[in-house]
Amino acid sequence: MSIDDSNQLLKTIANLLANGLETKTEPFPETDKQFADVLTELRQLDQNDIKGKLVVGGFVNHPYGPDQYRCMECMYYLVHRKWCDLPELAVPVEPDWWCRLWRI
Amino acid sequence: MANLLWLQGGACSGNTMSFLNAEEPSACDLVTDFGINVLWHPSLGLELGENLKKMLNGLVSGQIPLDIFVFEGSVVNAPGGTGEWNRFAGRPMKDWVADLAKVAAFTVAVGDCATWGGIPATAPNPSESVGLQFLKRASGGFLGPAYKSKAGLPVINIPGCPAHPDWITQIVVAVATGRGGDLTLDEFGRPKTFFTSFTQTGCTRNMHFAYKVSATEFGQRKGCLFYDLGCRGPMTHSPCNRVLWNRQSSKTRAGMPCMGCTEPEFPFFDLAPGTVFKTQTVMGVPKDMPQGVDKTGYIKLTAAAKAASPAWAEEDIFVV
Ligand code: SF4
Ligand code: SF4
Ligand code: SF4
Repeated sequence: MSIDDSNQLLKTIANLLANGLETKTEPFPETDKQFADVLTELRQLDQNDIKGKLVVGGFVNHPYGPDQYRCMECMYYLVHRKWCDLPELAVPVEPDWWCRLWRI
Repeated sequence: MANLLWLQGGACSGNTMSFLNAEEPSACDLVTDFGINVLWHPSLGLELGENLKKMLNGLVSGQIPLDIFVFEGSVVNAPGGTGEWNRFAGRPMKDWVADLAKVAAFTVAVGDCATWGGIPATAPNPSESVGLQFLKRASGGFLGPAYKSKAGLPVINIPGCPAHPDWITQIVVAVATGRGGDLTLDEFGRPKTFFTSFTQTGCTRNMHFAYKVSATEFGQRKGCLFYDLGCRGPMTHSPCNRVLWNRQSSKTRAGMPCMGCTEPEFPFFDLAPGTVFKTQTVMGVPKDMPQGVDKTGYIKLTAAAKAASPAWAEEDIFVV
């Protein structure tokens, strides 16, 4: 994806979240089985179904939980590309966002 | 001339295969260059039946000196402590092990099954397997915590599943050439020369570990395997990235996570489904941290490392 396309998509996602898109932040996939189940659900979506990815992934546009976890610390986050490198998501994200697939 | 005897208990022969592939020195070099007399080995020994039994009895009685006793595989105690499930030369193998360990100048356990019980000792351990001097992390094993060979050393443990060929031959040569007393062993009887540094020492992915860039699939050239794929390199004592496998590569260099096979707990989490090649986490934070690092420090380090990481850390720098 070109930088322009990525920036455009980032804006689209930011708008969706700012406009109150309801996403599944809970339950947090605690076990590997639960984590794998969320990934399976994501794989069933069309690669271009951005809204679907945000909903299933449980995206929020702010840090989350008592420890204020963020994409910034997540192992899938690529700082320079502002990109979520989890193959099932593969979307641009802001460092202060979070989703329930967060791992460190 | 140093007499070496190699026996196998509950084993898959993986360490024998490894030993026969050794290059520096090779198994042949042991005989031709280092004067080791291989009395018997399951894949090389010529004696069979009564002849073999006669030789073993000669060793036990002290008539033939036993300089190096190498044991591969677990000591099988089933059923009910009798050891009858693993008979050899007319009696339970465990009885031979007990007798031979008493007369051996040096006793060497090769591979995880002989050192800590390994895969056979995984719960529920139907073969009642134990290692020579350990059962997993607990000292004792078959010979007991106080066991010392005639040279005054506990069992020399060369773990691994399998052990690297050169770890085996280099230790055997050290012992056979009279340098056994120079070996320093760690608390698990492992020669410190091989088992003080970590698998991670020398791993080509260290930059990605430092900058917290994760590999997300096996075989990827960029990224570290710790975050997602369960790599145990930062907490496993082995020289796998210093003494390369086949003189070429290592698991982590090839994009496969280290499974921690030189540590007493191997196989970790008793191989429960979902625990292999997957980093175990609690609320997204790894259960097992790099040795000496705590959770708070780890999260802080991650934020700082990511903020400071250069752009190239996110690219596949191995391809132009
Ligand atoms: S997995 Fe979730 S928390 Fe992690 S970078 Fe991607 S979007 Fe952010
Ligand atoms: S791949 Fe494993 S051994 Fe290599 S740097 Fe990452 S955690 Fe360490
Ligand atoms: S890389 Fe790890 S699992 Fe592989 S041989 Fe070395 S210590 Fe064992």
